[in-house]
Amino acid sequence: MALNLTRRKFLQTASLAAATAAMSGCFADRAKAGTPFVKKPFAAPGSFADTKTVTGGICEMCFWRCQLVGKVRDGRLVKLEGNPKSIDNGVSICARGNAGVKLLYDPDRLKFPMKNVGKRGAPEWKRISWDEALDECATRLKGVIDKYGPQGIAIFPHGCSATYPMNFFENVVGTPNNSEASFFQCRGIRDTAYVATLGVPPGENVDMANAKAIFLLGGHFGENVHVSHLKRYLKGLENGAKLIVVDPRFSASVSKADIWVRIKPGTDTAFLLAIMNYLIKEGKYDKKYVAEHGKGFGEFAKGISHSSLKWAAKTCDVPEKQIKQVADTLAANAPNVSIHPGRHVSWNGNDFQRERALACLTGLLGTIGVKGGFVPGKGPKVGKVGWPKLMSEHAEQFALHTMAKLYKFSPPGTPTDLIRNTAVTGKPYAIKGYVGWGQNPIQTIPDQALTIKMLEQMDFVMVCDVMPTDITMYADILLPELSYLERYDGYIHKGTQWNFADPQQQFIAPRLPLVSPIATDHERKDSIWIINELAKRMGYGEHIKVKSAEEMVEKILAGVNLSIGQLVKEEGIHLQPGADPYGKALDVEFYSAELAEAGYSAIPTYVPVPEPPKGFARLVYGRSPVHTFNRTQNNAWLHNEMPNNPVWLNDESAKKMGLKEGDTIELVNQDGVKSRTSSVVKVTPGIRKDTIYMAHGYGTMNKAMTVASGKGIDDQSLITRLAVDPETGAHGMRNNFVKFIKNGKVLSIPA
Amino acid sequence: MIIDLEKCVGCHACAIACRAEWEVPTGKDSAQRERRRNWVLRLGPSKTPQGMASTYYPGLCNHCDKPACVDVCPADKVEATFTDPKSGATKTMQVAATWKDPFNGTVQIDKERCLGCGACADACPYSARYVNEEGGEPKADKCTFCVERLAQGLEPACVQTCLARARIFGDLSDPNSEVAKYVQKGAVKLENAKVKIGPNVRYYANKRDMHLLTTTSIPKTMPQANLRRTIMARMLKPAMDQVKNLGMLGLAGVVIAKGLSEDDKQ
Repeated sequence: MALNLTRRKFLQTASLAAATAAMSGCFADRAKAGTPFVKKPFAAPGSFADTKTVTGGICEMCFWRCQLVGKVRDGRLVKLEGNPKSIDNGVSICARGNAGVKLLYDPDRLKFPMKNVGKRGAPEWKRISWDEALDECATRLKGVIDKYGPQGIAIFPHGCSATYPMNFFENVVGTPNNSEASFFQCRGIRDTAYVATLGVPPGENVDMANAKAIFLLGGHFGENVHVSHLKRYLKGLENGAKLIVVDPRFSASVSKADIWVRIKPGTDTAFLLAIMNYLIKEGKYDKKYVAEHGKGFGEFAKGISHSSLKWAAKTCDVPEKQIKQVADTLAANAPNVSIHPGRHVSWNGNDFQRERALACLTGLLGTIGVKGGFVPGKGPKVGKVGWPKLMSEHAEQFALHTMAKLYKFSPPGTPTDLIRNTAVTGKPYAIKGYVGWGQNPIQTIPDQALTIKMLEQMDFVMVCDVMPTDITMYADILLPELSYLERYDGYIHKGTQWNFADPQQQFIAPRLPLVSPIATDHERKDSIWIINELAKRMGYGEHIKVKSAEEMVEKILAGVNLSIGQLVKEEGIHLQPGADPYGKALDVEFYSAELAEAGYSAIPTYVPVPEPPKGFARLVYGRSPVHTFNRTQNNAWLHNEMPNNPVWLNDESAKKMGLKEGDTIELVNQDGVKSRTSSVVKVTPGIRKDTIYMAHGYGTMNKAMTVASGKGIDDQSLITRLAVDPETGAHGMRNNFVKFIKNGKVLSIPA
Repeated sequence: MIIDLEKCVGCHACAIACRAEWEVPTGKDSAQRERRRNWVLRLGPSKTPQGMASTYYPGLCNHCDKPACVDVCPADKVEATFTDPKSGATKTMQVAATWKDPFNGTVQIDKERCLGCGACADACPYSARYVNEEGGEPKADKCTFCVERLAQGLEPACVQTCLARARIFGDLSDPNSEVAKYVQKGAVKLENAKVKIGPNVRYYANKRDMHLLTTTSIPKTMPQANLRRTIMARMLKPAMDQVKNLGMLGLAGVVIAKGLSEDDKQ
């Protein structure tokens, strides 16, 4: 290895040493010596030095919304920390939260309104003024509405700032075609399944901190990180809660588990049915709760009576005695058991039934409104302001799932699959305008080729985002948005202290900017300004209720006699006494007449999923602790922690295939679709032979994302075979199968 | 410092908070060392005699009892006086550009006198040092245990941000401290017969995770001394001392530097 000491440097240091030596040698005197060779301070001063602490930050590196303070030096944000006043995340934030600084100053961020003078997918960008951009968006969207009706526009929103645009297009313009990824590629199934069973969407409202047992179906906490959620989980474990994790992979949660159920993917509902059938047959369920709050329990018990332990053991490929052990552990610790509802649940196209089964298990164990159980917190109220619902009736009339009499338990909006098919076929009507706001459907929605086909047939594509994600390549007009650190956006975070065992408190925390949005090197704007300007140009100006994002926050806060000024005084978080969250029971629809009437199975039912073809294994994806979906992949600090997404392969399979840890590989799926990019193999005994696992959120194809472009494999590019959940219309994304490619040679995976 | 792997969820917040706090650049330095003060490596899942295990190696400078990095520093020594914050006692020592504080036990770097030669970084068996070449001059950099933050009454950046409270910082010499209790419970140092320099970060974990950590993350050997760098360091030290003693303005340095730059060309 060559010496690092160059001649020039050495001369300098030698001279410096001499100059220093002439002084007394005491450190304090060194400053006086003068250091002509020091170009800038060698040591970073630390975030506490010469900084101002600005309160009122609400994180949006993910959707959990931790409360932040910013350390600001000369107008520049140097560090983010948890707000010490927070009763939610406290002073802690996760890796992504800490890396928000790098998003704020990412040189790849969108800066100016741009017009695509090239082709969709192969854009050439021309900088234009906001006036030009907004005029063109208004004219062309209006053109679509005039020709095809409001339903001719589809909106793909994501994040806090997208709510205002989404409500504008739904309520004022009047399109039902709103595809929220958070519903149709994530949690919508869970929400409507719980509503159908317990009457409420569940959130992640399990009181894990005070549980005696915690049951996770695929939950991989630690790889999946939300601060106060994990605090609850870890507090529970610290207090001795038994942890049961059902997962084909030895996940971060499995590493802390008492019981690992190494289940065959896709069979979870069978597992749950066998547990419930066993508990009923053995009389190990909460008879009092079921008698008082259960509906249709008799039909339910009868309907699942075929679900024996033996049947489930064979179906799920887990030992019979382990299923019994799980059931007994749950029963022994009931009612203080957290049956976690999950969050990303759009797995296999049979997911509504699995979520129904989880909700029924929650009811069967009587673990509702009790310590450690399913306990929605009692949060504070705030005021409301937004677009008037002028066109709701029109929108409902053109809702595709209603017209097709499909997906009767769809979450709000319209199932993506229907929007896309309608756009591509023109039936039953044309969809010719695309509005994207913070969502990247290319990496969010399965079958990328079909999504691109949808985009190509549009008359107009408008996208607003912070980063140049893959979808931005398909925009005709691309608008740059302010980040969550520089804007008000009408979002007020509210909730309770994370541990219900602590004194009951509520918090109200509006998002306030931590640094000024004004700069000379960009013209980014917030969504309220952009949509108001667009609304005026489209002829809807009279319906505008707030002139600015700041005014929106003021009006929402005024509803509970608060103001931005007051919140600033209160260091960004208003605290008030809370209410006891325990004691509220919920009725449980074990047998759902509503589902029966709609033509669906009225009791939770296991629907088998397609098996891997010979030589293939099922592709399962999950979370990385340093990324949120695909949104954070260009963050230089986060990327540095995990520059690619290693593909997990069973060690015995790897040996037979001749693959070693760290080998560079590509993947090919059952339809012959190859990954655009490569990753590396992770060889481990901690995964089933029929399963391949990788973290989601890598492999962006947009070269404008200079950090992330082409790094790791985009799992979504391999998900070409569609599964659609019949009750909700949401996608299932784990029914695709892959083989490996090394040095151009396709390698089959042994059974 | 104690790192409790029973609590740690491997979220990497510590590593990023440190990067933000101390403006640590990403990637590698010109000698291919990872530029990091604080890191998280993901271990497993692997089989251990105690069963399948998966855990993390959250690493940082160990502020060793017998630090390998201090003696190799070729910078001229100066007299420095240290004060014990508890007793007020003082101690005066000759120190190079990196030293171990006789009272608080931390290993620190004087960035202004550091030559940026990287000898210390190469000497560390834990790869806890790198050379930061982002500033005007290259300078060795590493975890300081956030003594600067401690002086402000703040916790170390990695400790503050840890959602699991898996990092416990405290005074090992106080038997009632939480860290001392962890040591009593069996928190271990990442050391073995060949690498035994008294690291002061200790890890607590269940048996299988501990097996995985210690079999993967304890350095196998002390780094081989880099012959050329050692020669350079030896040449440099007396030269520096001479410069200092005689007050000669860099003359000796010029002679050595000439030789070095020619050496570099080979």
